[in-house]
Amino acid sequence: MHHVVVERWSRGSSPLHTRDARSKLGALLVFLIAVSTTSPRAQFAIAGYAALLLAALFAARLPLVSVLTRAALVLPFSATFALITWWAGDPARAISLAEKSFLSGLAVLLTIATTPWNDLVHALGWMGVPRFLLLVIQFVYRYLFVISEQAQHMRLAAISREGTRRARNVRFRAATGAVGVLFARSWERAEGIHRAMLARGFTGHFLSLERPHFHAADIVFFFAAATAAVAVRMAL
Amino acid sequence: MHIPDGFLSPPVWVTLDLVSAPAVAILARRAQQGTDTSRIPLLGVMGAFVFAAQMINFPVGPGTSGHLVGGALLSMVVGPTAAAIVMTAILAIQAFVFQDGGIMALGANVFNMALAGVLAGYLPYRLWSRQWRSAAIFAGGFLSVLTSACLALAQLLLSGVRMPPKIIWISTALFAIGALIEGAITLAAVRAIERLNPAWIIAPAGGRSRVVGLAAVGAVVAAVLFASTAPDAIERLTRTMGGETATESIWLYRVAAGLGGLVLIYVACTVIGRYLARQRSA
Repeated sequence: MHHVVVERWSRGSSPLHTRDARSKLGALLVFLIAVSTTSPRAQFAIAGYAALLLAALFAARLPLVSVLTRAALVLPFSATFALITWWAGDPARAISLAEKSFLSGLAVLLTIATTPWNDLVHALGWMGVPRFLLLVIQFVYRYLFVISEQAQHMRLAAISREGTRRARNVRFRAATGAVGVLFARSWERAEGIHRAMLARGFTGHFLSLERPHFHAADIVFFFAAATAAVAVRMAL
Repeated sequence: MHIPDGFLSPPVWVTLDLVSAPAVAILARRAQQGTDTSRIPLLGVMGAFVFAAQMINFPVGPGTSGHLVGGALLSMVVGPTAAAIVMTAILAIQAFVFQDGGIMALGANVFNMALAGVLAGYLPYRLWSRQWRSAAIFAGGFLSVLTSACLALAQLLLSGVRMPPKIIWISTALFAIGALIEGAITLAAVRAIERLNPAWIIAPAGGRSRVVGLAAVGAVVAAVLFASTAPDAIERLTRTMGGETATESIWLYRVAAGLGGLVLIYVACTVIGRYLARQRSA
């Protein structure tokens, strides 16, 4: 599954990977605000943002084509709206919709692909996201792929058993049963997880052995990235 | 329908971030108080379950299939408060890890699907499930998806994404079909889960009169109708909100609005967080 790819990317050692997650997250927010407030007709600014992201992509030593392809996943959605907007007689805005959503998605992907998941969650907590929400996010992320894999297995098993050419109501009932069974298995899994956590001394929050530090380079990176984004926004 | 970044205008996403962030902070606090530690893995695994259940295809029409969205089902399993938190977690993961929905637009997506969607999905169940159980569950799934989709459409229109009225009508019709499918799948899923263990579906808390329920659903439907039948009103509202016409030239204003909005969101979250923490320790 493709999530594994991003996790592998995030464990690199490029200059961008070694920056503190908080500085990257801060730079991402400034960049997204700059893109969001750019006028639809400012095509030079869009090119400027693209250049900034490409520079960061090279600095991160990530595979260019695979990253760009992944970021393009947003395009079917935005292209639909772009076509509608074009049809409504606003081609400038139509083009900018597609460009802005692609650049914003690429910026988020770049941040995720250079930041290990735990560091990102830690940075979000540092920014004040409620701890309970972060706990739930951690658990969803941890079991997302486990349970998705289980769903895939069940789907494969169902197709092997009865094929895809059965009557619609039979397949509908089969899908309903699959949801029920998946639910029951998830519930049991949650109970098992809880027992295992209690056995290991869980008290209501995760502990981390690493304490991330802000280095001078992180501060420099944040201000350099933020200044570059704002400069593109204002000058072009 | 997850709104990506770049679609919403700064006034719209700033407002919705400002609404959603404190709401989620309060709900997280409340959900935490009402849960022992055994619920935390349960909520996480239920979130993962909703994610995975979206992969199971339900054949609905000739050549078409739908899948569960899950907000209403979740609210009937873990309760509306926890369901809103789990949906927020799912949306955050989709935005960060899968680039499905934007980061600036996260407030809007959380508002549409985790707050309004879960509320609209749970209300009919809470109010009517004693008298008309199946209908209430169906209505929950239906209203949950319809509310989310219409809110997203309204926000796009408010942001100045221009759509011909014909397209708005077509998409509203598509939303209604999607909502009917969600209602049917939610009902089928709840029945399947109950057959395995009736205790997994929570009993609706407390009874209120049907009148209140009708009024609540009426309000939701009115909001939906406003979004779908009044594109002119929305366009007028867009103009007064300065979507694209008045403030276009004053870019400094828009940058300041964006940055100021972010600062405001942060301050609001911190203040509310501090207040709640103090209240809890007092």
